[in-house]
Amino acid sequence: MTSQPHNQTPDDTPPPLDQATARRLARLGTMPVDTRTLDHRLAAVIPPRPRALPAQRTWLRPLRAVAALLLMAGLVGALVYTLSSGPAQASVAVMAQVHEDIVSGKTPVMQVDSIDAANRELSKQWPDSPAVPNVPQQHVMACCMKSVKNKRVACVLLKSRDIPITLTVANASDIKRPTTPGVEHRGVTYQVQTTGNLNMITTRRNDRWICLIAQLPADELMDIAAKLQF
Amino acid sequence: MNLPTGQPHSRPGEAARRFYELVWPLRADVLRVARILSGNFTDAEDLAQQTLLKAFAGIDQFAEGTNVKAWLMTILRHARVDRLRAAAPEGTTVSLDALDDPLADPHTDPAETGAWGNADEALAAFSDQQVIDALQDLPENIRMTLLLVDVQQMDHHEAATILEVPVGTVKSRTHRGRAMLRRALHPIAREHRLIRETHK
Repeated sequence: MTSQPHNQTPDDTPPPLDQATARRLARLGTMPVDTRTLDHRLAAVIPPRPRALPAQRTWLRPLRAVAALLLMAGLVGALVYTLSSGPAQASVAVMAQVHEDIVSGKTPVMQVDSIDAANRELSKQWPDSPAVPNVPQQHVMACCMKSVKNKRVACVLLKSRDIPITLTVANASDIKRPTTPGVEHRGVTYQVQTTGNLNMITTRRNDRWICLIAQLPADELMDIAAKLQF
Repeated sequence: MNLPTGQPHSRPGEAARRFYELVWPLRADVLRVARILSGNFTDAEDLAQQTLLKAFAGIDQFAEGTNVKAWLMTILRHARVDRLRAAAPEGTTVSLDALDDPLADPHTDPAETGAWGNADEALAAFSDQQVIDALQDLPENIRMTLLLVDVQQMDHHEAATILEVPVGTVKSRTHRGRAMLRRALHPIAREHRLIRETHK
């Protein structure tokens, strides 16, 4: 690496070493933090979130009661249907929400620095959890358990080129088989879906359902999936 | 930038609505910055709580449509300065401008020569905690500048407004701070053989 002139002014383009330092610091900006304690402390002082509708609209109250009753009946029906319908549908919208909640700190996570450590922490919460496969080159940040349509899944937050990736693993029998045609990549078939600026790829290997979602090209996610060590 | 001075003047329900809509989604950012700034979880939670309670108290003074994160970072910085002053022994003054650490000479300082090789790879090998620990060695104002510019990705003008200094000062502190961070990380990098030995 070429040394930069000592008298370089800060107005110039930063030296390569400075740029690398800035990129390393930027990674701290997505470091997972656990806000649970803070949330509890704030909830003790700050009033709860107000209801959306102003209280003076009293004529709406009977209608709202009926709507709430119908909604409750619908929810109960949906719950009964979900519980009795076997495998869950892990849609791209649901998985995008899982990813965003983890990255933003909304979902409490355990900070870990390796897949082994993640598997140890996850098995404490879910002894029968499917083992998360090793990801050789990705930086492991955190892990957590989540529920997708009543089915438990293990999530690990990874980083590649400073971009957070959520790797989710579930028992293959817990997740519905896709009905859409797949994409072939290095001999493995993947389902590729997109929502907003997030790409999601899913596949089934070794009785496990594997999902990777991130703001990365689908090809890159499939390359990462291809390197998983089971 | 208007800073909170007391209890919210509008109806409590309206203050809570604005707080949950504008501030609540950014509480993880506030906690993250507080964590890096103070170096430990306990102080970080205290600082983040103080910041968010001040934001709630002053939510009336926040002009909707302006940068809420910059407003929160300004409150956080003031809360941090208050805490440092309160913790300082009586009769002493807290200097936040400890800039007496001379900038390393890139031609002779081992932390600034070509020893880093592929700097991205070498720096990526440090854990977040090691980087946070190294940041604790930096003067407060330089650490805060790096947090705003490099960690929170704010532009120099936003950072200058929050820190109440000229833009040029933010630029020079950023340049100086990155070099100081590398110098703080250098002994660990040598110990773990993450960099090449170029000087005996």
